[in-house]
Amino acid sequence: MTRRLVGVDVGGTFTDFVAYDEATRSIDVWKNLSTPEDPTDGVLTGLGRVDSDSIAHLRLGTTVATNTILERRGATVAYLTTRGFRDVPFIQRGNRKSHYDITWIKPDPLVKRRHCLEVNERTDRDGRTVEPLDEAQVREIAKEISNSSDIEAVAVNLLFSFLAPAHEQRIREIFAELCPGLPVSISYDVLPRWKEYERAATTIADAYLKPGVGRYLNRMADRLAERGLQNKVVVIKSNGGEMSLGGAAAAPIHMTVSGPSGGVIGAKHLAGLAGIRNLVTFDMGGTSTDCSTVVDGAENFTTNFEVEWGLPIQVPMIDIRTIGAGGGSIAWIDKGGMLRVGPQSAGADPGPACYGKGGVATVTDANVVLGRISPENFLGGAMALDAEAARAAVGKIGEQIGQTVEDAALAILRIANTSMVGALRAVLVERGLDPRDFTLLAFGGAGPLHVADLMVEATIPNGMVPNYPGQFSAYGFLMTNARVDRHRTVQMSSLDFHPGRATDAMHELVQTAVADLARQGYRERVEVTRSMEMRYLGQNYELELPIDFDVFDDTTTAAVWQAFHDLHAARFGFNVPNSIIEVVNFMVTAISATEKPALPRLSDATEPAVPTGQRLVRYEDGAHESPVYQRDRLLAGHVIEGPALVEEAASVTVIRPGQRITVDAFGNMAIGTVQ
Amino acid sequence: MNAAARQTDMVTLNVIDSTMVAICREMGIVLMKTSYSTIFNEGLDFTCAIADPDGEMLAVADYCPAQIGGMPVVIKASVKELAVEDMQPGDVIVHNDPYRGGLHTPEHTFFQPIFVDGELMGYAVAIGHVSETGGSVPGGFASEATEIFHEGLRVPPVKIKRAGKDVDDVWKLLLANVRTPRQNYGDYRALISSVDLGQARIADLITKYGKATFRQACRDLLDYSEDRMRAELSAFPDGKYSFDDFMEDDGIVDQRFHIRVDCFVQDDEIIVDFSRSDKQAHGAINATLGVTWSASFNAILHLTDPAIPKNSGCFRPIKVLAPGGTMVNVDYPAPEVGGNTETHPRIAYTVIGALAQAVPDRAPATDAGTHCNFLFGGNDPRSGEYYVCYDFLSAGWGGRPFADGNNAVNCINGNCRMIPTEVFEVRYPWLVEEFALVPDSGGAGKYRGGLGVTKRFVCRDAPITVSHMGDRHKTAPWGLHGGREARTAELRIMRAGTKEWLSAVEDAGKISPSKFAGLTVQPGDRISLTTGGGGGWGAPSERDAGSIDEDLREGWVTADAVRGDYGRAGAEGDD
Repeated sequence: MTRRLVGVDVGGTFTDFVAYDEATRSIDVWKNLSTPEDPTDGVLTGLGRVDSDSIAHLRLGTTVATNTILERRGATVAYLTTRGFRDVPFIQRGNRKSHYDITWIKPDPLVKRRHCLEVNERTDRDGRTVEPLDEAQVREIAKEISNSSDIEAVAVNLLFSFLAPAHEQRIREIFAELCPGLPVSISYDVLPRWKEYERAATTIADAYLKPGVGRYLNRMADRLAERGLQNKVVVIKSNGGEMSLGGAAAAPIHMTVSGPSGGVIGAKHLAGLAGIRNLVTFDMGGTSTDCSTVVDGAENFTTNFEVEWGLPIQVPMIDIRTIGAGGGSIAWIDKGGMLRVGPQSAGADPGPACYGKGGVATVTDANVVLGRISPENFLGGAMALDAEAARAAVGKIGEQIGQTVEDAALAILRIANTSMVGALRAVLVERGLDPRDFTLLAFGGAGPLHVADLMVEATIPNGMVPNYPGQFSAYGFLMTNARVDRHRTVQMSSLDFHPGRATDAMHELVQTAVADLARQGYRERVEVTRSMEMRYLGQNYELELPIDFDVFDDTTTAAVWQAFHDLHAARFGFNVPNSIIEVVNFMVTAISATEKPALPRLSDATEPAVPTGQRLVRYEDGAHESPVYQRDRLLAGHVIEGPALVEEAASVTVIRPGQRITVDAFGNMAIGTVQ
Repeated sequence: MNAAARQTDMVTLNVIDSTMVAICREMGIVLMKTSYSTIFNEGLDFTCAIADPDGEMLAVADYCPAQIGGMPVVIKASVKELAVEDMQPGDVIVHNDPYRGGLHTPEHTFFQPIFVDGELMGYAVAIGHVSETGGSVPGGFASEATEIFHEGLRVPPVKIKRAGKDVDDVWKLLLANVRTPRQNYGDYRALISSVDLGQARIADLITKYGKATFRQACRDLLDYSEDRMRAELSAFPDGKYSFDDFMEDDGIVDQRFHIRVDCFVQDDEIIVDFSRSDKQAHGAINATLGVTWSASFNAILHLTDPAIPKNSGCFRPIKVLAPGGTMVNVDYPAPEVGGNTETHPRIAYTVIGALAQAVPDRAPATDAGTHCNFLFGGNDPRSGEYYVCYDFLSAGWGGRPFADGNNAVNCINGNCRMIPTEVFEVRYPWLVEEFALVPDSGGAGKYRGGLGVTKRFVCRDAPITVSHMGDRHKTAPWGLHGGREARTAELRIMRAGTKEWLSAVEDAGKISPSKFAGLTVQPGDRISLTTGGGGGWGAPSERDAGSIDEDLREGWVTADAVRGDYGRAGAEGDD
C-alpha cells in the first residue's frame, strides 16, 4: 500500500500541504485557505485530497502559540516569585522601543499584577539557600488559588533557581497536591538560564499558552482521529525538531516559530544535497519576510527571540529574523516628499491595487507594472490581476516624485529591497559572517521575484530558488528529526571550576533531554551533542564550544580552556591567555533521527529549455524582452540566461541580464552571474 | 526652500539614508557583543554615528539620546583641533574632554576617518560611557568634585591607533590612570571594532555610489531633515514661551541652581534662550554647551515627528543661546560630570514645559528627572581584582495628553537597560532584597504619571565605596494642566545593627542627600535607592472611573491616595 509522509503548515491566510509518496518517490503540494475560527477545518479539508490510510506520518506547523500571545488570548496566569521581586515582569529592562516617540506604550506582560504573588525564600549567586522556602505560605497561596475560579495556569520563577531548583520543584509538588490539574510552569523546566526578567517573561508565556494550546492540540488530535490519524501526527517546534502532541501541550513555549522553522530545516537539507556550505534564507510573503542562516551545514540557534518588542521568549530556537515588509507593503510619500515603503501592509483586503478592490500601490503592484508578475498567471492563474489598477496606483506615486510609472515602480522595489538587505545583513553581521561566502535561498510567494536584485544589493554571489517555494516550510517538515535542546546556566569559572559539579550538571542535562525524547516515544537512533558557552571574565556575550566527553577531569578541563582561547582567537582575532574564563551555560541537544524521503530526481535535459512565451520586463538597466519558462518543464542541467522569468503556480523567478539559472538534478534553480 | 536645490532623487536619498542608519546599528551590535562593562553590554549606554568631514552628523542609530544631540559638537571640536592633513586611513582618535566639546568625562568618543581613494569623506563615530575614568572615586561620578580634575583623566583628541597600529604610549597612559585597566582595555577595543566596521561599510557605500553622488546625497539629506523640522516648527504658534526649573543643590552648597528658558518661536524657527539661568555651580551639576544643545534638541525632537531622519539638518532651525559661566555653559575648570545625566533631563523638560504652552496636545508632564546614578567599587575578595560599577534606575514618565505615563522607563536623556539582579549579584558583592515599582509615586491626573522603581540591597562580605549623583530628592517632578506632582527620589542607608534608614546627610554629614562621593559601606549595611514618578497630566477629577478602579486593583495606587488625589473612596476591587 502507498505510504505517505505529509507536512502541513497552518498560516494566517493559507494552509500549505506537502505529501511525499514513498512508492513513487514523488512529491505533491497544494494549499487551501486557512480557517481561523477553527483551524482544524482547513487542515482536514486539505487532507481530504489524499487517502488517510496512506498517511504514515503527519507533521504540523502552526502559528497558534504566537497568535495567542499577539492577540492576548491566553490564560489568566498566577505568577509566584521570590519575595521582593513581584514587579519584575512590569519593570522589564527599563529601556524604550524608540527615542522621541511619546506615544509609545510599554508592553503589558502576560499577567496582571494582582495575580503576582511573592513567597518567602532566597537562593544566592552560589546556589546556597539564604532563606528556606516557606512551605506553609505556598500552601496558603495554593489553597486560595484553588478556591478562586479565575486562575487557569501558574508560572513560578525564583531567583537563581537555575543553580538550585529545589524550591521551584517543591512549589510544583504543593500545587499538584492542592490544585490538581492546574497547569504549572516552573522556570527551571522552561528556561534554566540567568537574567530574571527574561526567564520570568518566558515562563509566564509558557503558562499563558498551556490551556489554550492544549485545547487546540486536543481538538486537532480528536479531529484527526476521526480520519484514523491518531498517533501519526506530531508538531514542529521552534528548534526545527518534531515533538509529540502531548509534548507540545506540556511545553507550548517551544512552538513560537513552529512554521518558519520548516523553511530553515528544508534549507539545511537542501544545502546538504546541493553541497552548499552556507545559505542565507529569504522567505518573503505578503506582509512579512523571514531571514535565517545555515552555516557549514548547520542551522543557527538563538535564545534572544522577542515575540513583540520587550517580550522575550528565550528558549533555544532557530534564529529567524522577521521584518514587517512583504509583497503587500504599501508605498507612500512622507511629509518631506520622500518615497517610503511599508511598514503598513495592504493585507488580503483590500490587498494590493492589482487585486482590484480599491487598494493602493504596493510592492506587488510595482512587480506587475514592471512586467515581472503576469496579471494572467498569478497564483497559477487562480486569481486575475488588474494591471491597469496597479499602473494607476504606482503612477500616482510617480506623479508625486516626478517620475514615470515605470521608474516609480523600480523605485518602490529599490526601497523595499533596501530594508530586505538590512535584514539579511543583520542575520549575518551579528555572527561575524561575510555575505560573499553565502548563497541566497529565496522562497515564499515573493522571494523568487526579488532574489536577483537582492543578490546584487547584498553582495551575495549565488542565489537559489528551491522546489515548491510557495510551500517550502511545509516541505521542510518532511526533513525534520525529533529534537530536544536543554540549556542551563552553571555559573562557574576557570578560577573555581568544580569538575565533579560540572560532570553532574552535564549528566543531568543529558538525562533530561533523552528522557524528554523517550517520553514522546523517541527511543531509537538517539544522538546527544554537548557544548559549553563561555567568555572571558567581564564579557557579557558567550562563545559556544562543542565538547565530546562526559567526565570533567584535569585533562579534559585543561583542554577546554585551551580550546576556548583558540576559538576566541579564531572568532575575534585575539585572545587573553591569562584571563579568567567564565563558564556560563551548559547545552545539550538530543536528536532522534526519523525517516527521510528519498527526493525525486529529474531526468537529464537533452535539449535546451524552451520558453513558452516572452514579455517586456523592466530592470535597473532598462526594458528587455524576456523569455518566460515554465518551472514544471525544466529538466536537470537546463541553463537559462537572463533576462528571463520562470513561472510556477505559487511564484515567479526573475533573473536580470548577466545572470544565469542552472537547474540541478533535484530541480532546484541555482542562480549565478555570467562570468 | 531647500527642496528646489536638492539634486539627489528621493529614492537614492532614501536608500543612502537607510543604509547609513543600518550601518550605525551594526556598529552598535559589535560594541554590545564585545565590550566588558555592564553599562555597555547590559545598559547599552552608547551611540554610533556617521559624520561628514566637517563634523556634521549624517546618520545615527537609536541608542543613547543624550549623546545624539551632542555628537556634532564633539566631532566638530575634535576636527578643529586635529590637523586634518595629518589624518590617515586606519587612524582612530579617542577623546573625552568636556572642555573640548565633550559631554562628560566618562563619555569616550572614538572615531575613525573614512577615506576613499585617498580622500577624506567623513568619520565613523562611537561614543560610549566608560564606567571607570580614574579621578577621586571609583565609577567616574565624583559628586563632590569642585574641579574637572577630580572627575578623572581628561583625554584631548589623540590617536590611539595610527594607520591601523596601536599607539602604545597612549594605551599605557590611559590604562595607568584607571582602577580597572582590564575592563577599560576591553571597552576601548570594543569601541575601536565598532568604528572599524563603520569605516569599512561606509567606504563600500561611497564606492558603490561614487563620491560625488554620496557627497551630494549627504548635503541633500541634511536639507531634507531641515525642511521636515521647519515644517514641524511652523505648526507651533509664534510667541515667547518661558519656564523655570532648578537643580536642588550641587553637592557642595545647599542651594538651588535655576535653569530659566525663554523659547521664541517665529515662523519655522525657534530660539531657545537660557540667558536668565543661574551662574555656574560649585559642584558637578554644570552642563557643558554640548549638553545644553543636546538637551534642547532632545526636547524638541520629542515634540515633533519622530520619523524625521536624525542628522545635523534637524538642528538648523533651532538656535540655543547659553552664556558662558552659567549652569548651562560652564567655564573651565569647574566640575560637570552630573550635567550630562542629571541636568540634561532638567534642561530638556524646562524646554518642554515652556513649549507645552505652544503645543499642549503634544507635551507630556515631566519624567522623574533623575537616573539615580549609583557608583561603587572595591576589591573583589574572590578574584582579588578591583571592580567598578555604574548602576542606575529607570523612573516614571509623565502623563501625556492622551495616555498615562509609562512605568519604569529610563529618563529622557537615556535609553539604557537596567542590570538584571542576577547579573548584579554575580558580578558584585551585594544581595538585592527588593526590586519593585513604587505605588502612588506617579502624579495624579486625568492621565497619571508612571511609577518609579525602588531597589534595596545589602553589602555581603567586603567594604564597598559608594557614590551617588542624583536630584529631585527635595522637590517633586511637576504635573501639567492641573496634573499633580509625582513622588520624589530617595537614597537611604541602614547601617548593620541599626533599624533606621538615614539619608547621606544624616548618616555621614554630607551636604546633599542626592550628590555625594566616597561613602564606605560595610558588610551588613543596606542601601535603598528609589526613583520618583512622572508628573500627572490634566486634572485628577477628569480621570475616568474605570482607570482609577483598575489602578486600585493592580495596586498602582492605594485606596488612601485615591481618596486624597481623586476625592473618592476605593471601588469594589479595593482590597
